[in-house]
Order: sequence, then C-alpha cells, then structure tokens
Amino acid sequence: MPTIEIEYEDFVQLLGLELERNVEKIDEVLSFVKGEVKKFDEKEGVLTIEIKDTNRPDLWNVEGLARALRGFLGLEKGMKPYAVAGDSGVKVYVDTRLREIRPYIACAVVRNLKLNDTLIRGLMRLQDKLDQTYGRNRRRTSIGLYNFDLITPPLRYTVSKPDGTSFVPLGFEQKMSLGEILELHPKGVEYGDIVRGFDVYPILLDSENRVLSFPPIINSNDLGKVTSQTKNVLVEVTGTVHETVLNTLNMVLFSLIDRKGKAYSATIEYAYSGKPVKVVTPRIESWRMQLDIEYVNRVLGLRLTPKRVAELLRLARFDVEKTGRRTVLVRIPAYRIDVMHPIDLVEDVAIAYDYNNIEPLWRRLPTTGATKPETEVYDFARETMIGLGFQEVFTYTLTNKQALFRKMNLKPEKIVEIANPKVQTLTCLRNWLLPSLVEFLSNNQHVEYPQKIFELGTVVILDNTCETRAREEQKLAAAVTHANAGFTEIKSALDAFFANLNLKWQIEETVHPSFIDGRVGKARIDGAEVGIVGELHPLVLEAWSLEKPVAAFEVNMSRIYALTKR
Amino acid sequence: MSGLRPHEQKTMLTLKKLGGKASVNQITAESGLSEAAVMRSALALEKEGLVRIIEKKQTAVTITKEGKEYAEKGLPEKRLITALTKLKGEASLSEVIKKAALPKHLVPIALGWLRKKGWAQLEKGSLKLLRTPEKQGNDEKLLEMLRKGSVTLESLDAETREAARLLKRRKLVELNPKTLRIVEVTEKGWNLLKRGVKAVAEVSELTPELIVSGKWRKVKLRKYNIKAPVAKTWLGKKHPYLQFIDEVKRKLVALGFKEMSGPLVEMSFFNFDALFTPQDHPAREIFGIYMVKSPKYGDLSKYRHVVARVKKTHENGWKTGSKGWGYKYSIREARRLILRGHGTSLSVRTLLSKDLEIPGKYFSIARCYRPEVVDKTHLTEFNQVEGIVVEKNLTLRDLLGVLEKFAIEIADADKVKFRPDYFPFTEPSVELSAYKEGYGWIEFGGSGIFRPEVTLPLGIDVPVIAWGLGIDRLFMMRAGIDDIRYVFTQDLDWIRRRGRI
Repeated sequence: MPTIEIEYEDFVQLLGLELERNVEKIDEVLSFVKGEVKKFDEKEGVLTIEIKDTNRPDLWNVEGLARALRGFLGLEKGMKPYAVAGDSGVKVYVDTRLREIRPYIACAVVRNLKLNDTLIRGLMRLQDKLDQTYGRNRRRTSIGLYNFDLITPPLRYTVSKPDGTSFVPLGFEQKMSLGEILELHPKGVEYGDIVRGFDVYPILLDSENRVLSFPPIINSNDLGKVTSQTKNVLVEVTGTVHETVLNTLNMVLFSLIDRKGKAYSATIEYAYSGKPVKVVTPRIESWRMQLDIEYVNRVLGLRLTPKRVAELLRLARFDVEKTGRRTVLVRIPAYRIDVMHPIDLVEDVAIAYDYNNIEPLWRRLPTTGATKPETEVYDFARETMIGLGFQEVFTYTLTNKQALFRKMNLKPEKIVEIANPKVQTLTCLRNWLLPSLVEFLSNNQHVEYPQKIFELGTVVILDNTCETRAREEQKLAAAVTHANAGFTEIKSALDAFFANLNLKWQIEETVHPSFIDGRVGKARIDGAEVGIVGELHPLVLEAWSLEKPVAAFEVNMSRIYALTKR
Repeated sequence: MSGLRPHEQKTMLTLKKLGGKASVNQITAESGLSEAAVMRSALALEKEGLVRIIEKKQTAVTITKEGKEYAEKGLPEKRLITALTKLKGEASLSEVIKKAALPKHLVPIALGWLRKKGWAQLEKGSLKLLRTPEKQGNDEKLLEMLRKGSVTLESLDAETREAARLLKRRKLVELNPKTLRIVEVTEKGWNLLKRGVKAVAEVSELTPELIVSGKWRKVKLRKYNIKAPVAKTWLGKKHPYLQFIDEVKRKLVALGFKEMSGPLVEMSFFNFDALFTPQDHPAREIFGIYMVKSPKYGDLSKYRHVVARVKKTHENGWKTGSKGWGYKYSIREARRLILRGHGTSLSVRTLLSKDLEIPGKYFSIARCYRPEVVDKTHLTEFNQVEGIVVEKNLTLRDLLGVLEKFAIEIADADKVKFRPDYFPFTEPSVELSAYKEGYGWIEFGGSGIFRPEVTLPLGIDVPVIAWGLGIDRLFMMRAGIDDIRYVFTQDLDWIRRRGRI
C-alpha cells in the first residue's frame, strides 16, 4: 500500500477548505479516497497518509488528493479540464538499439511554473513514489525532470558503452563514466541491476551532445536539477511498457498543471519497424464509457435515477455527457487508469453516495452451516486430550531443519523449504509435529512440573502426485515431562485416547533414532500404521538442553479420521 | 491445652531438637515433612501460643547465565589482564585478545572494566599494564561461591555485598527479595515440651476402614485449617486462542456458513491470478510472498480451461467487459509454488469446486504466510478467517448486512461504520469498523463483491460477496493483550493461567 507524505498547509490550500488539524477529522475526509492518516508531525506540518488503492497513482500526491476530494466534498464537480497548451517543438529521436533495453520515452515541457521549496519537495516525492510503486522501482518506468532553459533540442534517446560517456551526476561534482556511476553513485548501486546485463546503457542527450540523464539511474547535475529559480521544466519518462510510460507522464503533468503550469507536447520519433514512426506526447485525452443504470442499482441494491447517478459521478469527478433513460455516457479523465470495467464506476457512485447512507440488509438464505466432517473428529480428539489432563498448545508450522532433524537425532529429509526466508529460524514447513512440542518444552523449563502438553496441527510432506507437489496431514502429538515421566504413562494416555475414539490399536516394537531403543513402539490400527509412542532419546534431550525425561506420542489424525469414518 | 496433631507434634519435637528456633526450611529438612505441612503446623501452633513465627525480609543473590559463564571462564577483563601479564605487561590490543582467546563481543566489556578497575590503559591500540590485580577479587570470589548455589545478601560481609551490587549492574547476578520464616518456641511451648508432647487419637484421614466398620462414629475427625494455601492444580484445557477460534467457528456455523479447506502450499494462480492480481504486482515479489525453494512449479493441467480464461481476462478482459491489464500473461508464473498469503485462495478453490452450492455461504480459518519481520503487530505466519456468500441478486446492501451481523454476533459491537477499501479482486470494497464501549472503534475486517474479472472466468455468473475478519486483532482485544505474538506464545505459564477468553 503506497504511503505518501504531504504538507498540511499546502494540502488545505489546494483543497480550499478549512480542515481541522485533527487526525480523526482528516481521516473522515480521506476515507473518500481510501486514505488513512498514519502519522501527523504537527511541528513540521507533515501528514503521512496511506492510500490503500494500489491502482490509483493519481492519488499519490497532494495535487491529486485535493483534486479528488474537492469533488466528493462538493466544492468542484465534474471533470477538471486539462489540455495541452501547444507544441513545444521538441523532438526526441529514439535509437533502435534501445528496443531490448528500455524502448519507450515520453516527453513534455511545462512552462510558467512558480516553484517554491514546498512545491519542489512535493515534486520529488511524487517522482519517487511513482518510480517506486507504479514504475516498479524504476524497472518499468522512471521519471526525469530538467531545467528546460538550459537544454538545446532536439534530443537523442540513445545508447552508450559503459565507458563511452562521462558526465557529472546529480549531487556530485566530478565527471563519472556510466560504468563508474553504477559502481560509485548511490543511485547507481541501488538501480544498477536494471541495466547491468546489457553491453550498452541508455542515455539522453541534447543537440549539443550534453547529457541530460542516464535513464533510469541518474540525471545530470548541470541540466537535471530543478530549483526555485526554474521556470520551464522538461519532463521525461522512459520505460519498458508504452502505456505505463504515457500514464506516468500524465500523472506528473496533471500535478504541474494543477500548479498553474502550461503543458506543451513533444514529438517522439521511433524507428523500430524500420520506418520512422512519430508519436506525440503527452496523451491526456479523456475517454468514454457507457454505464447501465440498471447495473448500478443491481450491484448497489438501490433505486437511483439516471439523474442521481450522473450527479454522483460528477462528485467523483467524471463528466456525464448524456443522461438517457437507461444509461449514462461517462467521460473519464486520462489519469483514472484504474477504471477498467463499469464496476469501477459503480463503486465511485457508491462512495459518492456514502456507504453509511446505504441500509444494510441481512437476508436469510437457505444454507446449512457446518464444519468439515473431519473437524468434528479432530475436535473430539482435542477434547479427549484435554480430558486426559493435557494442556493444548499452538505453534508455528514454519520451523527449521535443525529443529526437525539434527536436534531430533535424525538424518535430514527432503521437505518444503522457503526460497526467500525472512526469519532465520523459520525456513521450512514441518514434516512432523513432535519437534514443535519438544521446542515448546525446552522454552518452559522454569515452569512448574509436571508438564503435559498436546497439539493438533498441520504438517506438510513433499508429494509429487499432488498438484501443489505437497500433501498436508493433520497430526496430534502429546508430550509429558517430569522427573519420573516414562513410557508407561504415555502409553496409558494413548490407550485411553484410542479407546475414547472407539479404536482398537496394537503396539509393535520398532526402532526410531528420536526415541530410546526398546522404549518405543509403532501404533497400528487394523494393520495400518497410525503413529509412534515412546521415551525421547537422551541425545534429543541434550540437543534441546532438556533436563527431565520426556515421553511422547504422535499420531496421524488424517489417517485416524479415515478409520473412524468406516 | 489438648493434645497436638501428628504433624504439629513432629514440628514441636523437631524444633526442640534444633534448639527451639529454626527456619521453616531447616524444620522441613530435619523432620522430613513437606514445607506446606510444616507451615500449616506452625500456623496452628502459633494460634495455640506455642510458637512464634518471625518473618524476615531477605535478598537472595543468584547467578545469571552470563554470570555462570564468567565464573567458569573468568571475567573478560581478567582474561585480558592475564594474557597481558603473560605478554610482559605491554602489547597491541589484537595480540592480547588473541592470546586471551576472548570472543569479539566481549572485548568492549573487557576494555571498559580494565579502565574502571584501573588495571590497564589502552593507548593508540596498545594495552599497557597499570596494576597487577589480586588473584581473586571480591566479585570473582562471590561468583565462585554462587556457582554452588544462591546465598542471601544479608549473610555476606560489607565488601562482598558491594561486589554483589556491582555484579548486579553487570547483570551477572540477580537480587530478589525473599521472606525467611523462623519459628521460635514460646515459653508456653517450652512448658509443653518439658511435660512431654503427646498426640491425641484425633483422626485426620477418613479411611475406607473407618467408614465400613462404622468406627468413624467413635473418633473425632480433625478440623482442617481450610484457609491454608494449597498446591496449584494445572488442568488440561484448550489454548486460549483456539478457545476463541472455536467460538468464532460455532457462531459462523450458526449463521449458516460451511467450512472450506484448501492447501497451504499453493500455486500463484489460486493466490493471485484467479483473483485478478497482475503478474507483476508488488505483492507477488520476494518481499510480498514466500516462495517454495524446490520444486518451484505445480501442475495446473487439471484447470486448463479456467487458466485459459484467466489468461485472456488479464491480457484483454476476455468476455468480462473489462479492459484487462494489457500485458503478456505467463502460465509458468501462474504455476509458481508459494505459501498462501491469504485465505482467499480457498474461496477461489471453493468457487471452482463441483460441490459448490448456490445459494452458498462458506468460511475458512486459514493459516497464511507473508515474509514479515515478527514484532508486536506482525507475524510471518498468521491466521485469517474469511469467506464468501454466493447467490443471485446479492447487492452491496447484503454485503453491509453480513458485515453488520459479524460485528454484532462476533465482536459484540454496539455500532458499525463502513469505509471504502481496496483489494485488487473486489469492487466495491468495504472496510468495517466496529465500536464497542470501552474499546472505541476498531478496524475489524475487509470485504467486497468479487470483480466480474474474478467470477466470470471461474464460471460463476452470480454475485459473490467476499469478507475477511481481523481475527487476531479481535482476539487481542478480547484477551486484553497488546502483542500479537501471544497467538503463538511459547509461554506455558501464561497459557496455564489464562482463564476463559
């Protein structure tokens, strides 16, 4: 979920509304745009806001927030008109060698800007947020801003060998080659992987061969620095997906137009197909979608008239071109990239109507509630263990190989491991349950004895015959520990357990490295193996630093469930 | 003064043997009675005026794990100074550390104490001996003593006591208050002892023999001190969290919901693709979802037709009326094995199941996984309660109705509030907040109506309401705890003492 920072005073000014400096009140307003205040630094006047919608990059800056909220608050209805003021005359020639590297670019010039520190900070935040989130950490798109007055068009979007070009990168004083930037510049280190695999790197030059930037890594310190003195800005977006590149440029332009800038287009010339193809950017045209009134009412459970729907859509800052008897024709601004289906308009109608004005309806449906049949048997098994005086515990299914094997005196087996573990001790899924209980006991040696615990839990076993290559089993494990804990006690508990489930079981001698030889047995029901019972081997106790004997059993509840069903 | 009961008699006689004054521990050791029995007897004897119980507050000094380690291997500063002495009193620091074989993490500690104790001085990387310390300082003597067992602070001389305080600051020992109970025979008690203590034939235990023979009519059954403390009984019971989950389950069943199930090692298709989450969505990257190391891919061949429809829906919207995401969909990526990140994958499987009932209501309590650092508010393995309602003509009003019902039935809320929410797979989406007197507003769940891009490719042409409840948050509220890690606590004592949630 994108988190953005905005300056409170700036926000209130753009909103054109006295908004109380009260987090709850601000939250109430932000709910229209699925936003929530995470922090309010009153001293700096900075609001940290989380926007839940991951598909609304237009809301990830203060201008966009104010734009949307002015609608819902009724201060300004319908679509805000955004237009290109004219042609900037800037041409960008794209080198065909960029085809596999970073093929697309979009450009525009914004004139007449009155930049101040607040605005520049906002612009940097907007750029960062779009690069990170919508631009997938600059892999998909990245934005560059330049002082247009220092640049001599036309521009060339071309490639260079790592040591073929040098320039002074932003924030530095010395010239560096592209290769050096990847090694030494913090942005080069951070984003270098995007280009490192190629022989040549993207580079943006003006007609005097001065470097504007090394996309998507870093701008030039000379041309690519925007200050409060800058009046005319060149905005450029490069990337791998054409539509995303165009959308990203729009997001920046709409914010700058909201700041009273005037946008001028540029002409991009591609030649990937062999012939030159001209694309004029930006493309900020709105588009249309038909919305069926019956559909709106069917989804919302309301009886809204076309006129009412049109009114609500205007609060959500859409235009309605035609209000018919059954449909409305909606005009959608270019920045609303989230609108993919009429259902997206329906939600905006509901939000403008306010969810809390919709009366909840609880319908009695002819359904029968039930747990899974095995849940009943499992719950009965749990109750039986409780009746036997065992305390139920609840542990992670994630664990590590040490706990499952080495500390249980076993040889490692193949299990489900995580490729990207986050916690050092949680790297795989358990394939048996007892280690979880033994670990639990090892963490409670200061607690009063005797200790009797059990858990009914999931274990996961690799199984190539399953579509997910793994099979789950429900296991029940129990352990007793105190100075005199032993085989007889745990066998007696297991015997009572099976008896209460109406199962006749036999015990058979076996060898298992986790248990003491001659004090361990397999549990069988009608010949089928269902579990193991015994006294833990002193090697296991030592591995877990346990000082008292432990007797334990583990049974396969999935198998037992199948047996109780017959 | 009538005769004494057997335990009281034994206590009196033991006291006599111990010179008329002894601690409860001493009496216990000498008499072979349990500590509880001695205490009970002493209290009864005090009532009769035969003994006096004197309580003395004391401070127990016990060694910590770190302290024990130092007691065995020597204090870090001592280890350095010993090495330095062997190196003739002056050497580079790294040389001394090497000689002392001192682990890296102990070096700053050792240097700090060398300076404080004035034993040596570090200058430009070279360590110089200032003073040869005594063979065993007071702190070392005390550590040595504590290795064999704890002592009381009061029993130590002034210097050693000071050393104990110093060691406490170093967290090598712990000082804990304890109460010493001394029982002393009174004058009245001595008189009784001189006359000879005798036990009357008072019966403490009602034996089967007494009952059957009817002899119980002739003996006197001793009165117990019913206020005396008894040993704690630890019963077998449900885990507090599961006690709560079982209750939620019961309530959902009562509301007509059927439990569903599905695998926790899952394919990306069910966790993401079928839920209209594009394949380059950040939630699918390594910091958003746990991926299985090996094997990497599952088998979707059984779902070929559905996969084809989902693919088209992602690419161009298929027949759903949507624009789609407009990218090239990869079936290989759809087969990627992961640990499920939410329980909604179960809803997808249920909607695909041939046993699906319409109208139908389904719920699951699903273990889910996300690569998060574990802290007070985050778990990397957690539980989600969620479900779906499937029926023609369901509307947003029904969704709000379901949410309101949950808030009242499950959270016992006084009122509810709805806010717009976002999930890639629902539209409209609603967040539920519930208000409860004494707790205020709490965010309680997320929900929505599945997008047409989700339901149509799955072959479902009726609305599906999907909801998820913040069950862990609700548990924390009910249990009055502020740390989510209690859900999977390893603290047996906490679990034992926790009553009804």
